[in-house]
Amino acid sequence: MRRIGKWLLAILIGGWLPVLLVTWWWNASADSTDPFFPPLQAIWEQFQFNWIWQFWGVHVMPTLQNLIVGFLIAVVIAIPLGVVVGSSRATASYVEPVVDFIRSIPPVALVPIFILLLGLDSSMRIASIAFAASFPILLNTIEGVRATNVVLLDTASVFRLTRSQVLWRVRLPNALPTVFAGLQVGFQIAFIVAIASEILGSGFGLGAFTLIATDSFMILDAWTGVMLLGILGYVLNLVFDVVERISLRWYYGQKKLA
Amino acid sequence: MPGVIRRIPAGLVSAVVALLIWQVVGSVGPLAGDSFATASEAIVALFGLLGDSQFWLAVFETLQMAIIGFALSMIIAVPLGLLIGLSRFSYRSTKFTFDFFKVIPPIVLIPIAILVIGPSIAMGVALAVFANVFAVAIQTAYGVRDADPTLLETMRCYRMNVLQQIRYARLPSAAAQIAVATRLAATASLIVAVVAGLVGGAPGLGRLLALYQSAGTADRTYAVVLTLGILGLVTSRLIVRVQRRAVFWSGR
Repeated sequence: MRRIGKWLLAILIGGWLPVLLVTWWWNASADSTDPFFPPLQAIWEQFQFNWIWQFWGVHVMPTLQNLIVGFLIAVVIAIPLGVVVGSSRATASYVEPVVDFIRSIPPVALVPIFILLLGLDSSMRIASIAFAASFPILLNTIEGVRATNVVLLDTASVFRLTRSQVLWRVRLPNALPTVFAGLQVGFQIAFIVAIASEILGSGFGLGAFTLIATDSFMILDAWTGVMLLGILGYVLNLVFDVVERISLRWYYGQKKLA
Repeated sequence: MPGVIRRIPAGLVSAVVALLIWQVVGSVGPLAGDSFATASEAIVALFGLLGDSQFWLAVFETLQMAIIGFALSMIIAVPLGLLIGLSRFSYRSTKFTFDFFKVIPPIVLIPIAILVIGPSIAMGVALAVFANVFAVAIQTAYGVRDADPTLLETMRCYRMNVLQQIRYARLPSAAAQIAVATRLAATASLIVAVVAGLVGGAPGLGRLLALYQSAGTADRTYAVVLTLGILGLVTSRLIVRVQRRAVFWSGR
């Protein structure tokens, strides 16, 4: 009972501001005649019509599909590569500067390169997403694997663990929190690049839909696109947080003990 | 010192090897052709751009958007974060809202920004502010809340007023968090300034990049991308260096 009370209080304290903001927007825009700021009610109706009835399959699914496929390719390439590079100090010191440089390029700026190479279709989008997302994952995996606690490594060698045992039982579990941080950044980048690749490589997809709506002055549609993109950005991040919490439960438990 | 000496050659060697691989991949094999520029072509194009006033104007415009956007976000977000962090209630009531806006990438807003502001310097600045304000404010507030409770109690015992508490306990404690947020905000501002140009048509290197890509000039496209990498690297190094001096007590 007390826990429920605490929860309710937390929701109340965290929730009054967003409720206030939305209510204010709803009322302030109610009889708005400004073409760029239509009434929130109208946006909301259009939002339901667009995303529940009409365009979910045409525009949202391809975006999500590219995002997920591109991200998975990045994971499958970057993590093993990072483990290999990170296991040797010398290799890491040679690879890191180049990876660091490529990571300093704004991820979206890589899209034009892939447009030149692959044209405007889905393969370009997936390649841009995979390429851009792999660098934070790669860097963090290198860092995580390399920074394994020396005492742990010494202990492992005292117990005569084989190389593969050291890798699977010591290095990888210890690298996991760092790798996850890289995955999260990589996923955020994947999302941004997914939208950018649609806007630049015009056609289908949520980003393209929204920009076309803007260009043709369909203001309501543009607002619904921006809203759905914002909500997607938030929800995807949230899903990622939950997955991380669950798979790193042992780590947080350990940290609490320490 | 030995670390420095050992690091420079590794970086140099890896850069040279990477350029060689890039050159070979672009000259033979499936990537050879007009749609891919080799390392040498890109570097020649970059030197060509260095003599082009249009290029320097674009660099200037991008930096202008990034710097103004960065400065504005700091001016707004740090005092805001301080205020929010002073009370437990205000911290907890704004946390959800700020976290929500923090994770929304600014690129999402570009279509609306094109309508409301138009593709201009102001649009780049506005997007940079949106990208940073929430993250910096929440980070600052967190730092303020994180101040040593014993220190605060002691100050209350000595009847030091709120301003003194802010000056001697809250701010020093928040400084480490603000430093981290500043670093992220600086690189984010640069990225947003480029994206505003590339995707939203604002002036600067982003728009130049879009221009070269749609003209199909691979070498110049790559040269601009190289420039962006160099700018990004210089920015993050510079920030780290400035911070080491400014926040000397936080042990970074």
